[in-house]
Amino acid sequence: MNGKNGSIKDALYEPPGPRTRKYILAGTILSVLVLVMLAAAVIRQFYINGQLAAKYWSFFTKYTTWRFLGQGLVGTITVAIVSGVVAFVLGMLFMLGRISKYKWLCGISRALIEFTRGVPTLLLIYFFFLVVPQLGITLPAFWKIAAPVAISASGVVAEVLRSGVNAVPKGQTEAAQSLGMRWGSVFFKIVFPQALRYVVPALISELVIVLKDTTFAYVVSYADLMQNAKVLISNYDALLSVYLVVAVIYILINYVLHRLSVLLAERSATKGTAANALERTVGTL
Amino acid sequence: MSISELLSQYGEKYLSAMLMTWELTFLAFLLALIIGIAITIFRICPIRPLRMASEFYVQIFRNIPGAALLIILVYALPYLGIVWSYFACVLIAVSLIPSAFCSEYLMAGINTIQLGQIEAARALGMTFFQMIKNVVLPQAIRSSVLPLTNLLVATMLTTSLASQVPLSPTDLTGIVSYINTRSVGGVAAFVISAFLYCMTAVVIGFVGNRIDKKVRILR
Repeated sequence: MNGKNGSIKDALYEPPGPRTRKYILAGTILSVLVLVMLAAAVIRQFYINGQLAAKYWSFFTKYTTWRFLGQGLVGTITVAIVSGVVAFVLGMLFMLGRISKYKWLCGISRALIEFTRGVPTLLLIYFFFLVVPQLGITLPAFWKIAAPVAISASGVVAEVLRSGVNAVPKGQTEAAQSLGMRWGSVFFKIVFPQALRYVVPALISELVIVLKDTTFAYVVSYADLMQNAKVLISNYDALLSVYLVVAVIYILINYVLHRLSVLLAERSATKGTAANALERTVGTL
Repeated sequence: MSISELLSQYGEKYLSAMLMTWELTFLAFLLALIIGIAITIFRICPIRPLRMASEFYVQIFRNIPGAALLIILVYALPYLGIVWSYFACVLIAVSLIPSAFCSEYLMAGINTIQLGQIEAARALGMTFFQMIKNVVLPQAIRSSVLPLTNLLVATMLTTSLASQVPLSPTDLTGIVSYINTRSVGGVAAFVISAFLYCMTAVVIGFVGNRIDKKVRILR
């Protein structure tokens, strides 16, 4: 959230009087109690089911465990980056088609964008996993996960880029045209670099979605973090602890990316634009 | 197999899969809205621990991958003595994640409310909850219609997680793998599901846009 957030939150309540202060204090104590009890209940549930036993957690102190998880993480990040780049290229093409003056190209691009935004990633993964081999095309596991993830992100990327392009003031295009630049140079030298700056935060948010989608890599047996976690589980017979640690790793990575996106959005002078672009085009969780 | 062959053989299955996806989407979105609104109230309330806890909740569920959450609910929780049906697990997973995003959109909606309105409400002597109920939430929801429409579509896409557990009837994604393990469904099996998803998304988008045009507050 941006800086305005703090002010509206503060405005919702004035400096409390003595009575309200008492209420707030009571509420604070009560809520702390409830939260502590909740945490205690969770820990108790772990304890009575024997999930706090050392054998479930001790292997996390071993170097080999982390190296193995690290290898999986490298797999995850590789897929995420490659899918991200492919999604950007595809999104760029869709966006160019969408804003072109040819009606048919615009129509096709729109249909493709709607399609990629309206179909779940898992369905596309099953397409590449089950249907594509039937057509006689054998893809390596890497592309069975990278391609569908990229395709499902491309529509959102296209819309994000388009909203960025639309946010560039018209005067920029007019000035460039009056200098005698052709369409290509106007777009790629003047409009697009500025548009890109607006939408970097939204693109980073999309990367979070791409990273989340790569967790389905286990469907196609590609060695990502999730898949390696499964191997660890069968090695140490510790399901709960491994899945919890893996979930925390995912959450931390995504949290850092999310914070980065918010930070960039706040820093750029065009907060509103970036936030709007994101808001209007978020299509996947 | 051609589309007509598939439809004659698996037509009923597709219908029940479609209904399953719709049912999950509807229930999950409803739950997500309720939880999202509650969490949003916690996030702006004057009690600090509640604010921190709800912020924590949002960060957890907006950043956890759906597959990881579902796997934990289905396979890890039984180790804690908590066993839910597959349907319940899927429904919980596909409600918790959108609920975090719902809260984020509502917070963004709250941020569009001008300070003067809050001041006016306070000058009228409204209590915190009166102010939330009569001034903040109605406006926040009205200016969040478009993001919430997108959220509904996103929730529908997330329900494809249901294909990861044995659910009967299966959902629209699960049916593609169901058909392909029994016969060579080919591209057609995929196309039917994709078409049904897309149509639902288009209809949701259309209705959402209409509602947005009707209730949007022009500033």
